[in-house]
Amino acid sequence: MTTPETAAAALDSDAVTLPSTDLSAQPLSPPGLLGPAFALARREFTRFIRQPHRVIGSLGQPLLFWIFLGAGFTPSFRPPGMEGMTYLEYFYPGVLMMMILFASIFSTITVIEDRDQGFLQGVLVAPVPRLAIVLGKVAGGSSIALFQSFLLLLAVPFLGLPVTAGGIGLIVMAMVLSAFGYTALGFAIAWRMKSTSGFHAIMMVFLMPLWLLSGALFPTTGVPGWLSTAMALNPVAHALTIVRAPFYADAATVLASPAYLTSLAVVAGWVALCLWWCASRVARRDKGVKG
Amino acid sequence: MILIRNLRHTYPGTRRQSARNALRDLSLEIADGQFCILSGPNGSGKSTLFRILCGLATPSSGSVTIGGHDLATAPERIRPLMGVVFQSPAVDKNLSVQENLTLHAELHGLRGAAATARITEALSWSDLKDRLGDRVETLSGGLARQVELAKCLTTRPQILLLDEPTTGLDPASRRSFILALRRLQRDRRMTVLMTSHVFSDAEFADSVAILRDGTLLAHDTPDRLKAMVGTEMVVIRPRDPAAFAAVLETGFARTPIRYGDELRIENIPPEEAVPLIAAVLANHRDDVLSIGVKQPDLEDVFVHVTGRTAAFAAEADQTDSRARRQPELTA
Repeated sequence: MTTPETAAAALDSDAVTLPSTDLSAQPLSPPGLLGPAFALARREFTRFIRQPHRVIGSLGQPLLFWIFLGAGFTPSFRPPGMEGMTYLEYFYPGVLMMMILFASIFSTITVIEDRDQGFLQGVLVAPVPRLAIVLGKVAGGSSIALFQSFLLLLAVPFLGLPVTAGGIGLIVMAMVLSAFGYTALGFAIAWRMKSTSGFHAIMMVFLMPLWLLSGALFPTTGVPGWLSTAMALNPVAHALTIVRAPFYADAATVLASPAYLTSLAVVAGWVALCLWWCASRVARRDKGVKG
Repeated sequence: MILIRNLRHTYPGTRRQSARNALRDLSLEIADGQFCILSGPNGSGKSTLFRILCGLATPSSGSVTIGGHDLATAPERIRPLMGVVFQSPAVDKNLSVQENLTLHAELHGLRGAAATARITEALSWSDLKDRLGDRVETLSGGLARQVELAKCLTTRPQILLLDEPTTGLDPASRRSFILALRRLQRDRRMTVLMTSHVFSDAEFADSVAILRDGTLLAHDTPDRLKAMVGTEMVVIRPRDPAAFAAVLETGFARTPIRYGDELRIENIPPEEAVPLIAAVLANHRDDVLSIGVKQPDLEDVFVHVTGRTAAFAAEADQTDSRARRQPELTA
């Protein structure tokens, strides 16, 4: 037990010399939105790169899917109006979409880890706009998903699809939008979750239908009425439309198509909605009840 | 200045658990430049108060004013003034010390040369200077705590909140952490509120506030708190505490206070302690396991005020559920 005398003596001994600059507290100008968001996004990506298992795991799975499923299905794949197209070609944008979807959503598991390990509370008490916290996480998660799917995009020249340089630009834009939408969705769901196992369970129930009913596995034409309604309401189906269209036509044709523009508007609106949802969840503080 | 007025906090009930009052009408005032330690057994409301003060929760009623701003209506005015060190680490283990400090500076709008200067300044007192490139997960517990504190200092906070910052540190690291903190607090004229279980920490404070069941039991300087239990006390561990309390009452005209299996006669004049011990031993040697004179320290104040023995408090640390049990008071 330290007595007051020794405590005082310990304080007076001058073991530590502090710089003689003016150390009085000065309020800083409040940080903006993009600076902190960028800092948080960079941290997210740095963490990802420093965990090689994450990189290998999320890269290997869709590649395997692409090769095995595509090779197996080609002989029986004869949809009306798409004769001459191999299932591998049909499936490629779907795999691209799956990679973005899964990598984006699962990158938001780190929200739960950050809360668990305490990092999150340090960010929450910082004087940053709540939207910056959301944008940082969403941009970081998206950059991880895009890093992986861009590697897959390198396979395009070997597919024999009529894709143009302008088309690639549109594809990239569609991928970025999709990644933001999925990451924001995952963020909003993960925000209040306490365990990563619970997150996995919810995501399996929620994600698989989104992807299965997106047109990634089978074309949306010729399905039962209720299924085509579900597909029309599914934002992932619209995201897939804007990713897939530029593979088969040049940019000008694609941009003149009302169906494409509708899907683009749906996806953009959905990204905005998810970001707003995230920000409102982050801004909410635990309230004590009257009693 | 931290001004807490009539603070109440009730956690909403769930289907399995009824609503729980964590803070009941708590008022506390900490003047500018003061170092205040907040102590109390588990479940006393320390953590709830801490969460409210750093703006992570809003209270049921009452008000908190920090640096002249109201916490309920203007949290964004308070956040820039405040540094918070949490009990669980708030740094990223996968990042280096330097990367963590830079990230924190950027979250507070500091960049480039200004950030570098502030980080150097914030590290000046620490032992981290040659570990800047190392990932935090490779640091010892004591150094990792220094990163937490250095991180907060980069923004030159006026108010520093710390939640059990010395948990898990060995006594030497704990002492050097507290000493560094106290010096920084004086040199930078910060207002510090720190929760702690460790009584030796409290010796360094300007004031100590003791909380139990969501109410403030005492708030004063360490010296004045110690005067509450007098300059000396006699501590007896009898074989049968209840029976022996009666013996002291009838045979010696002393009213002991029972804490667990210990009887204490507090506030006894110095010249009476030794004769009392001699008399007790002469007549009741076989009933007494141990007996002694003790100068009160803050641990004894804590025991006196909260009615819990140190052993009980330690036990309460182990299991939260048992912390609800109340010790018997025969006084």
